[in-house]
Amino acid sequence: MTGRVLVGGAAALVLLFLVSPMLAILPLSFSDSEILRLPPEGWSLRWYERLFTSDRWLLAARNSVVVAVATTLLGTVLGTLAALGLHFGRIPGRGAILALLAMPVVTPSVVTAAALFLAYSPLGLTGTMAGLVLGHTIISVPFVVLAVLASLRGFDATLLRAAASLGATPAQAFRRVVLPLIAPGVAAGAVFAFATSFDEFILTLFLAGPGQFTLPRQIYAAVRDVWDPTICAAAVVLFLASMLLLLASEAARRRGGGLG
Amino acid sequence: MRRGGLPAFLLVAPLLALLVLSFALPVGRMLWTAVADRELADALPDTAAALRAWDGDGLPPDAAFAHLARELGAALEERRIGLVAQRLNFEEPGLRALLLRTARAAERLRDDPRGGLVALDARWGEPATWRLLKGAAGPLTALYLLRAVDLRLTPAGIVDAPAEEAIFRTLFLRTLWIAALVTLICIVLAYPVAATLAALPERLAGYGLLLVLVPFWTSVLVRTTAWFVLLQREGPLNAAAVALGLIEHPLQMIGTRFAVILAMVHVLLPFAILPAYAVMRRLDPALPKAAASLGAGPLARFLRVHLPLSFPGVAAGGAMVFLLAVGFYITPALVGGPRDQMVASFIAFFISQTPNWGMAAALSVLLLAMTGAVTLLVRAVLPGFARRA
Amino acid sequence: MTRWIAALAALLFAAAPAAARDLTVVAGGGALQDHMRRVLFEPFARASGAPVLDQSYDYNIGPIRAMVQARNVTWDVVLVEAPDLRQGCDDGIFERIDWSVVPRDRFLPGGTTECGAGAIGWGVAVFYDERRNPQGPANFAEFWDVQRFPGRRALRMGARMTLEIALLSDGVAQADVYRVLGTAEGQRRAFARLDALRPHLMFWRGGQQPFDWVGSGEVAYAVGFVGRAANAIRGGQPLALRWDTLLYAYDYWAVVRGSPNRDAAMRLIAHLTAEEPLRELTRVWPINPVTAAVARDPAIRAANPLMMTNFTDRGLQISTEFWLDNGTDLEQRFTAWLNR
Repeated sequence: MTGRVLVGGAAALVLLFLVSPMLAILPLSFSDSEILRLPPEGWSLRWYERLFTSDRWLLAARNSVVVAVATTLLGTVLGTLAALGLHFGRIPGRGAILALLAMPVVTPSVVTAAALFLAYSPLGLTGTMAGLVLGHTIISVPFVVLAVLASLRGFDATLLRAAASLGATPAQAFRRVVLPLIAPGVAAGAVFAFATSFDEFILTLFLAGPGQFTLPRQIYAAVRDVWDPTICAAAVVLFLASMLLLLASEAARRRGGGLG
Repeated sequence: MRRGGLPAFLLVAPLLALLVLSFALPVGRMLWTAVADRELADALPDTAAALRAWDGDGLPPDAAFAHLARELGAALEERRIGLVAQRLNFEEPGLRALLLRTARAAERLRDDPRGGLVALDARWGEPATWRLLKGAAGPLTALYLLRAVDLRLTPAGIVDAPAEEAIFRTLFLRTLWIAALVTLICIVLAYPVAATLAALPERLAGYGLLLVLVPFWTSVLVRTTAWFVLLQREGPLNAAAVALGLIEHPLQMIGTRFAVILAMVHVLLPFAILPAYAVMRRLDPALPKAAASLGAGPLARFLRVHLPLSFPGVAAGGAMVFLLAVGFYITPALVGGPRDQMVASFIAFFISQTPNWGMAAALSVLLLAMTGAVTLLVRAVLPGFARRA
Repeated sequence: MTRWIAALAALLFAAAPAAARDLTVVAGGGALQDHMRRVLFEPFARASGAPVLDQSYDYNIGPIRAMVQARNVTWDVVLVEAPDLRQGCDDGIFERIDWSVVPRDRFLPGGTTECGAGAIGWGVAVFYDERRNPQGPANFAEFWDVQRFPGRRALRMGARMTLEIALLSDGVAQADVYRVLGTAEGQRRAFARLDALRPHLMFWRGGQQPFDWVGSGEVAYAVGFVGRAANAIRGGQPLALRWDTLLYAYDYWAVVRGSPNRDAAMRLIAHLTAEEPLRELTRVWPINPVTAAVARDPAIRAANPLMMTNFTDRGLQISTEFWLDNGTDLEQRFTAWLNR
């Protein structure tokens, strides 16, 4: 019994450790002064004000959203199509394709970032939104494929045959049988892709020029180059965005999507 | 009802194209960059050809001297000389100045290239200089890979780099050590959390899991930044510790190994907890009960039933933590000191600070080899891991 | 739906430049660039009748290399640091300055190179808090003397400037520093010197750090950027700045190779380095101009006692050539030394 209590106690401490940094940053972002003391000496919204009025931070926020949306669109479309082809088709080298798909995930991001930088530099793709989106897509799309494949797992092909026997064209069968089935998987994959892009840092560090800085990149610049307490507010904003995405992902999972 | 080959392939083709164009080719190109040696051949093609034809003994034939003088002058005039100067200077400091000086004197060297070059600088009369140029004539070189493990190629063979310049072996060992330490701590901390959550009813476990998923979904940069703020000398942690009387003066925590380990453990812990939890959730509770009924005490139950059954999940999590830790960049960069930097920050250094893409690629190759070796090792040791991953 | 996608595509590719591009000048940002815009760029735009855009960057010339390589040059005039300028010139990413448009003789010695026209100077020197330490080191030998001047010291992280300082502290004359540092014996000497001071040394990476440390008392004596020191002193901080320990260098205006606005760029540089506009700039912001007429003007010197160019005859100009030749090697040695 004491063993249980000890283990449970340890678990509680570790869980507290896991959430405490973000819990501490939250009040700091509302602090009145530049001094980082808890509890804050005064309360104010000035850092959030700076975040939403400063040119640099607004540009970073805009870029984050644009890149994430573009990545999600591109990744979801390509990933869903590929997952459908991989599941329904008889493609030789299916295993090899899946292995290739897994590579951007298992390769250390700094290596991927360096490789993309070296390849994109002579093509003039570094310091552009297009290059950044391509980079973000390559690390997000595997999750979309996995999510859609997962939602297709155990898909009973007899359903399609039944639809055909009832007079449905292949397109109609697809729209009314397959699509509803994969919708949660596509949604889950899209959410994960958006989150991956929104939080992405190291590819952005290598590929983005000052005009394409995203929020994480701008936070890094604010920590490394010119100290700016606005980073607490920016960190909280990113954190809240992640929470929304987590909830969205949970919602998708309840509906039958998710990554297993 | 499986569709035929072609339409299905068309569905996969766009993604495949993206993967090839935006991943496979760039990575392949980077592997190539680690061993390619094109600067000299590009800037001074005739010289390179002459050097390659020469056998390397003594001094090269007159033609090589003539080509060198002429092509250096042309390269300077057309401003193509920077890359070859940098490449040679990397191998031996001082060659850049020599090349530039020779290039500026190109006109005067036309009549008697051989004599003129040696008169301009004694190094042009030394076989060692020409052998170095021959080695750089390409197309391949081991220079960057050797440098990346603190080795040098000399006429006497491959030797260790002098101690004042050896940084990379320490770097790799340090990276492995930090990754191993972080992994160990994560596994030890993950165990109680995963076990407790797995023993809870589904709904309660869900709430507990949320506490793990929240940091998991938060960006690594945000979490590291949070630690950067918390560990400041004038930050909340120091202030609290002083207020509580634990310490007298604020501690310098940013820029220490402690901060790096702490922040990395925090960032990677969810990766250890989640797979362990998944496996432990599936454990049949009847098994420990059966062991108890056979007379096993709690420790024995843990060691001989729980631990072996949950090991694959824990190990999978640990392997993932290790692989991620080895490639880490942000956390040591933000909260670590100069003695805490890992391989990734040097790759970044060679890409952005001093463009030396050969070194960046060589270090990336070695990092990839390290992660590949670890993956294979884990696969061999844990048959179950392959299925799980 | 299609409209939405089209808008997204437009946003995505917003980085693509317009066909006929406005003259674009790029500098280091901050308050200085704001003043430059008002005092230098806008008057030129008004006089020439064509707009002048300005952007800021972080002195990383990677994007410049990329745009020249891709033949898609979107920057015309750039403020570049000396080593990048030299390397870039050799690599052909900067145009040769048209000296018929920009008079070469208007600059201080060392103020021009093939591809660069001197813009502003910067430097580092020893400084400390006068209230806490009424007597501080007057030169580098004293900076090393921990008996007479106890307390921690701060130096810049990296070999550049630090190794010269180490040799200067050991009695090497300014004129001989780079010759000595170029020899194996000289390098050993410099690192041995650093070893001697190591227990009392802290290294800074960000320019603000040494000032934070001196301000909080964590460090007694530091080497830091004189521009920041001057600003702090003008702001009322009781800092003593030792000009005899000055190491300095110039930043240059350069033209990106392949720029479609090359001629206008040269004219802009002529304006940016002309006497009157720079005089105006020194009135609103304490810069260190490289244009001789302004740097040597007694009235301006009197009005700006903390202007670095008042003291460059005492200081050591950091040798770009030396660091281009030996930088990689020495920085690696420095890293190895740091990790020992």
